[in-house]
Amino acid sequence: MTKALDPRTKLLIVLCLSSLGLIITHPILLTFVFLVGLLISMAFKGDFFSLIKRFKKVLYLFIAMIILQSLFTTGGEPLVEIGSVTLLTTLGFQRGFGYLMRVLIILVCGIIVATAKMRHMVQGLVQLGVPYDFAFMASIGIKFLPLLVEEIQDTFVAIELRGIDFKKLSLKAKLEIISYIFTPVFAGALMKAKKLSLSVECRGFRAYDQRTSILTLKMNSLDYLWIALTLTLTIWSLYLYLIY
Amino acid sequence: MMMPFIQVNQMSCSIKGKVILTDINLKLEQSQCVALVGPNGSGKTTLGKALAGILPFQKGSIYLQNESIKEKSLSSIGTVIGYLFQNPEKQIFASTVAEELSFALKYKGFPADEIEKSVDDMLRRFELNHLKNASTYFLSQGEKQRLAIAALLMNHPQYLILDEPTTGLDSKRKEQLGHLLDSLKDKVGMLLISHDKSFIRRHAYQTLKMEGGQILHD
Repeated sequence: MTKALDPRTKLLIVLCLSSLGLIITHPILLTFVFLVGLLISMAFKGDFFSLIKRFKKVLYLFIAMIILQSLFTTGGEPLVEIGSVTLLTTLGFQRGFGYLMRVLIILVCGIIVATAKMRHMVQGLVQLGVPYDFAFMASIGIKFLPLLVEEIQDTFVAIELRGIDFKKLSLKAKLEIISYIFTPVFAGALMKAKKLSLSVECRGFRAYDQRTSILTLKMNSLDYLWIALTLTLTIWSLYLYLIY
Repeated sequence: MMMPFIQVNQMSCSIKGKVILTDINLKLEQSQCVALVGPNGSGKTTLGKALAGILPFQKGSIYLQNESIKEKSLSSIGTVIGYLFQNPEKQIFASTVAEELSFALKYKGFPADEIEKSVDDMLRRFELNHLKNASTYFLSQGEKQRLAIAALLMNHPQYLILDEPTTGLDSKRKEQLGHLLDSLKDKVGMLLISHDKSFIRRHAYQTLKMEGGQILHD
């Protein structure tokens, strides 16, 4: 039932969730936003846990970033101290936790978007007034995200197959190897984008000024219910954030 | 009784619920060059990846040097098996040719002068000297293929699984690759996954045909 929702409704939900993720800094409220997002993604039959599994190899990087974020933030009460050196403060912990929640909110947003058909998503954006070129670009970007994840995993496999045990390396070597992983992925993404733009141009993309579509999206009562619920929850969360 | 270098028993593999390999039985010796042929989608690459520990399998067993592959880490398999991906771009990750070749030795703690010597030697063998400091992103397909194979050999593997090694190589390079594989034959076992019949005929000791996820015959 929820899968048949208009993509514009899903876009509104994602917009609200991501905006709350950006605005709110309170860790408990951020956790609440993430949990609501998780429930919504589950209602749309999105599989959050299989996505986490796919990100398993990159999780190390996220954890490293959370730790760095926590350690390099000063202020608040000291939580972990070695001699006179404060390693972790309450504010550092709060920032690190907030970062983790924001990453998780982005992931659930991605899952919610991914439950809509790509063609419907493009049409939804077009009917919202976004020019087709931009809508198409955005849809291609989303479509290529799993490929990027796959490429990161492939590079990890290629590195391990050279006999390198990532776990046994020093922190410095690990950080160096992470740069080995991301450089080809970004270079590959740029090259793919170049090839793709050539390919779509060759197929007559933007050959005519006006583009017609046989598909027209219509919102139903369920969409309006979801929109009302989302807006109510968003306003309520912002109200709570401002009060506390 | 001596066990073969790689032994596969009743191995089946599915990807996303789709059965790709069914009841594969295979013995591969270290001193042999075996070719794996078959139509697209017959499961050749999947079998190669399962043998290298890249793809998990659901049924049966694979033994590498008497030890179940499931108990080995990918990095420990990588010290024994060199796996060439169908698309060499997947395994080239350093930004320059020299860096790509020196990668494994650098992180295994080899001294810099020894690494430099080995890199220069490999560059000469694969006629890549002029590209030593070139960016890996702008190499031709053939150059990438040669670099990927050279990088594998830097690790001194005991067995090579080469998925379409002649793709993107002109006849001269193909011949050079053939000579190189011949020179390795006594020391390194090989599984050639290829559609290149003439290359297989010249270099493989045995040819296995795959169809529908099964090995049909020798």
